[in-house]
Amino acid sequence: MIRLPSRKFKTAAADGRQSALFLEGQFAPTAAHSLIHSFTLSLFHSLLMTPPRLADRLLTWFCAPHLREDVLGDLHERFALRAAREGVGRARRQYWRDVLAYVRPEFIRRPEKPHIDDYPVPNQVLMFRNHVKIALRSLKRHKVYTSLNVAGLAFGLTCFLLIGLYLFDELTFDQQHSRQARIYRAIQHKKTPADEVTVAASSYNISEQAPRQISEVENTARLVRLGRANITNPANKHAFQETVTLGNKGLLAVFDFETLDGNGKAALDEPNSVVMTEEFAQRLFQTSDVVGKTVFLDFIPDKALKITAVLKNHPRNSSFDFTYVLSEETLKGLPRFEQQTADWLSQSYQTFFLLKEQADPVATANKINTLLNANAKPEAGTSVSYALQPLADMHLHSQHITDGARNGNVQSMATGTLLYLRIFAIVALFVLLIACINYMNLATARAANRAKEIGVRKASGAFRSHLIGQFLTESLVVTVIAFVLAVLVVNLLLPAFNEFTNKALSLGLRTDYRIWLLAVTALVLTSLLSGSYPALLLSRFSPLLLLKSVRFSNRRDLSLRKSLVVFQFAISVVMMVATIVLYRQVRYANNKDLGFNKELLLVVDINSGKVRNGAATIQAEFSKLPAVKQVSVTSRVPGEWKNIPLVKIKQDGSTQEPKTAYILGVDEAFNKTFAVQLLKGRTFAGLSDSSSVILNETAAKALNINEPSDQLIDIPAMAFGGSFMPVYETNQSFKARVIGIVKDFHFQSIREKIAPMVLAYQRNPVTNIDYFTSRIDGHDIPATLAAMNHIMTGIDPDHLLEYHFLDDQLALFYQEDQRRETMLIWVSLATIFIACLGLFGLATYAAEQRIKEIGVRKVLGASTFSLTALLSGDFLKLVLIANAIAFPVAWWATNKWLEEFAYHIEVEWWMFLVSGIAAIFIALLTVSYQAIKAATVNPVKSLKSE
Amino acid sequence: MRRSDLGEFEEVVLLTVAALSPGAYSVAIAEELEQETGRPVSTGAVHAALQRLEQKGYLRSEMGEATAERGGRRKRFFTVTALGGRVLNEVHDVRTRLWDRIVPTIRLEWR
Repeated sequence: MIRLPSRKFKTAAADGRQSALFLEGQFAPTAAHSLIHSFTLSLFHSLLMTPPRLADRLLTWFCAPHLREDVLGDLHERFALRAAREGVGRARRQYWRDVLAYVRPEFIRRPEKPHIDDYPVPNQVLMFRNHVKIALRSLKRHKVYTSLNVAGLAFGLTCFLLIGLYLFDELTFDQQHSRQARIYRAIQHKKTPADEVTVAASSYNISEQAPRQISEVENTARLVRLGRANITNPANKHAFQETVTLGNKGLLAVFDFETLDGNGKAALDEPNSVVMTEEFAQRLFQTSDVVGKTVFLDFIPDKALKITAVLKNHPRNSSFDFTYVLSEETLKGLPRFEQQTADWLSQSYQTFFLLKEQADPVATANKINTLLNANAKPEAGTSVSYALQPLADMHLHSQHITDGARNGNVQSMATGTLLYLRIFAIVALFVLLIACINYMNLATARAANRAKEIGVRKASGAFRSHLIGQFLTESLVVTVIAFVLAVLVVNLLLPAFNEFTNKALSLGLRTDYRIWLLAVTALVLTSLLSGSYPALLLSRFSPLLLLKSVRFSNRRDLSLRKSLVVFQFAISVVMMVATIVLYRQVRYANNKDLGFNKELLLVVDINSGKVRNGAATIQAEFSKLPAVKQVSVTSRVPGEWKNIPLVKIKQDGSTQEPKTAYILGVDEAFNKTFAVQLLKGRTFAGLSDSSSVILNETAAKALNINEPSDQLIDIPAMAFGGSFMPVYETNQSFKARVIGIVKDFHFQSIREKIAPMVLAYQRNPVTNIDYFTSRIDGHDIPATLAAMNHIMTGIDPDHLLEYHFLDDQLALFYQEDQRRETMLIWVSLATIFIACLGLFGLATYAAEQRIKEIGVRKVLGASTFSLTALLSGDFLKLVLIANAIAFPVAWWATNKWLEEFAYHIEVEWWMFLVSGIAAIFIALLTVSYQAIKAATVNPVKSLKSE
Repeated sequence: MRRSDLGEFEEVVLLTVAALSPGAYSVAIAEELEQETGRPVSTGAVHAALQRLEQKGYLRSEMGEATAERGGRRKRFFTVTALGGRVLNEVHDVRTRLWDRIVPTIRLEWR
């Protein structure tokens, strides 16, 4: 009887049993003996012919495991000798003595390290260390695969991290305030017979009375952006044109703006107080140590304003962007202020309510509506109601809410788009998933190469869990390398990415721990996801199958991988078509004939009353400058970046509903300066035309006017971004004579259809002049600007020169599209890259599988070219299928997008052709490497081994 | 000279290994010693001595075949290393020299 030295049989109890069996076998009677006899004999043997079992048990208990075999063997052998020599009884007694002789430290002490002869029970750390070692070796041996895998995963992780950072920033907007969960913004919903508006604003009275009369409301923060004003440092006469924000004392109490200096909570309590940000203090005073100093504002020149606190700069993920706040108390008592605050129904203030703990926002909103209805009576047909929006929703859930509470000259609060965030998140997960799947693809494609290794491991005793552990470790090693690479790449890309997204993102040691948590989670999940499939698949096969080098091919697997490649390429093609269409459309928008000449038009803002009053002089001086060809004075310009006011117009005496039109105040030189073509009638001739208007074609058509013949039209109402109000307070309408019709010109983005437009003379009851627009020649623009500044400071020494070039401003309309274009280019590059990785994996797999077939074909005389064509042809089919799927999708998507533009290009067939051919070309390039490699292999090599 | 780290029992065991070579293993050694000295020698003592000698580098061991008497367990055979041989020689030399010096005296007394 031969015992295999296996650790499984080395347990104490088993040892005794084995020896008993052995003795039985030696002396046991043959089958001829009766059962009872053999039973008694074996009982006798087991009791007396064997060493005392208790002694054995004692020994196995105290003796170190690695010595047991020697010790027990010696004892038993000696027992057998003695039993034969002196009888069993003496031998048994001697046995006990011998066992006790082993009670000494060198036999009891357990070895520190597993002894080499003892079968090692591998602990997790040791196994892991071994797995890492093996992984590194196998990665080092297959450099191409390793770099492909690392590149793919690093790419996926880079995308994921960049987008993750962006999303994290967007989703944590406005959460820096400690009581943010209790802060709600008042949203006013106003419905009139004509239109419906949802405005993030409330009237003064609502915001003031709510905390007094509604028990749930604890406090109110209220602010309004009044427009731009000159703020001056009297010490050095430094002045800046900045948006002035008016805030009540609750503003600092409800929100936690971090304070650098001064009392951050009570700084707006007193009249004539100003709170400013650190950045603005630096600009105005060159120091942030400014608490107690004085500034002046040009619209309240008689008041010395004291700086009471300096705030830290707003974090990038804050919706608030004010540079300084004037205390509301300052303006109290001014007639204009009293008049503005009296109306319960107005929309003058952006209002935030701090609710008490556990107050229900819906119930509170209802109470606010009750309060409103108790105090105000809207006109018939008009209804006004309030809702409360949580502060956390302000950034991402405000698409259909107008940012009221601001002057028309102030830009509205920037908000994010939830749709884009969703798309971004999907793209991030998608790219990472595809990268993982590509890893799986490459790993399973290489299964054949590693089958032998796995077989040997299994044969020498590896459990399935060991192999799974090994493959997971390998994917972990690859992912960790890719992750480190991705973090480096992210840090390299962040400056450009920040510029692109207009954020201040960073990924370093100081980054929020939650981002790192997310990143590490992504790392672990990625390695598990990408390693799981090969780990489970490869460890499943029986060692016999693996060592016999049976090629296992899995049909279902292959078709899954094929459909994946088709999918990836379809997306790439859609992206390419979209990129081409977007590029063409943006170019079309920038080059379209707008109905006026936008080149070399220099727009200078009128920023003070003195300049406005001296406009005629300035205009005359400007036109004397050698570089200036024409100068025009207008209220707004085509391509305007601020609100263009609206008016209601109808033919005098007509009973039809008035039409809505935009209005521009212009002067005599308008047509010539902007090169807007006059179709019929005449242009303005001077002051005598102050109640004349010129219409654009669309307006003329809307009013059924064919010939300008001084017909009278009625302009009863006007609107500056909000609701319509009468032109004159006496409710009379502005009556004007039509003297001309101009050709339609694009005064807005070409997304909009050209709307009816009324050109009124510069002195009219609706608009004020705001700009000088000069047509200049392109030589020495700085000198021209300097000369203009000189002229203007001659009229108003405090005036600040602010200018724009009109073509730049027009390009801003399409900036978002340009941004999308950049994004699309990158995303399409990303998808193409990843699709190529997937294709490469598949090509490798196919070449590997068909190596024998290729060998046979070669032997029979196939040329390298025909073999390459054969291998590539399969993949060509996949890309063609991808194209067939992609074209309709791309056609639908691009048309949908182009519909946003009132004026757009048509999607043409060559765009599809270019994208499709590009995809095929790229795919062939990827595949041909593997195909040529497979086709040039010496057939002897591939055929000789089996 | 590392003479000092060889105990008396160890020396006897080492000698026995040399004498029984190549079939020296603990049971054989213990039986041999019992016969030679007439006193009971436990395998435990022998085993411990063998272990120490192996640690000191005087012996080398390898596993042999499994045998039935041992319940299917393998024997561990010991052989004397070169170092062990040198040490034995030194011990032997010291003793011989000493014996050489005292032998005449004994003869003289007997005469």
